[in-house]
Amino acid sequence: MGNSLKETFEGKIDFVGQKTVDDISRIALIVITVVSFIVGFALQSLSVTFAIFGGSSLVLILLLLPPWPMFNQHPVKWLPVIETKKGQ
Amino acid sequence: MHSLYARVNNVSATMSSCLMALLAAIALSTFLFTADPKGDLAITNVKVTAGRDRRYRNKSQDYALVNFNVSADLTPLFNWNTKQLFLYLEAEYENAKGGKNDVVIWDRIVRRKEDAFINVVGKNKYAFKDITNTFKKVPAAHYALKYNVMPYVGALTYGEAGRTLESLEFPAAE
Repeated sequence: MGNSLKETFEGKIDFVGQKTVDDISRIALIVITVVSFIVGFALQSLSVTFAIFGGSSLVLILLLLPPWPMFNQHPVKWLPVIETKKGQ
Repeated sequence: MHSLYARVNNVSATMSSCLMALLAAIALSTFLFTADPKGDLAITNVKVTAGRDRRYRNKSQDYALVNFNVSADLTPLFNWNTKQLFLYLEAEYENAKGGKNDVVIWDRIVRRKEDAFINVVGKNKYAFKDITNTFKKVPAAHYALKYNVMPYVGALTYGEAGRTLESLEFPAAE
């Protein structure tokens, strides 16, 4: 029970999943920054800028941080155990 | 493999870099707005009254009383990064020793664009006195209407919206 609780809070994802998360977060945050600046400048409103930045960042956090099943679809396949001849 | 904490670390680090870049861009964008509005400043009356120092009652102290009209449209100074304006009227003169004096005699904080159309007939808000306690040797003074633009993000900028064409003498104390 204690072990599964620990694993839940550790929220591990596989290697393919973590590359996806890194790529999405980097690209999305840059796009969010640029879009929030342009829209805020066009509407001459800083509150619009920070509403877009803050709101989309929040969505991004909910999308990327929890260990969703979509980030766990490529589990690591370990090689089979090689039997040694020590026992002879 | 990545744990939740590793992802929190990565995402928040990228996010703070992006936020810093965004704030820098906002601060730099202020320089695209080069509004330099001018208004009218007229000094209608300068009077000097002889009085007593407020703290040391046995010391005599001259106070200058300045009446002025100010009308200026400062709405162009309000852009997306303008928090408020600090508008002030300054008397400028050089005293007998050659020291430059800038005395703020009136000010106003403009918080909204709707309030940026200034039309004031008034007199000095703050006691106007010279460090020598008298205006006898003080030469004629220029008056200037100046402002600070206070941004949400970025540097404080200064500007001048009006200035008297000729310097005004201080009359003898009454």
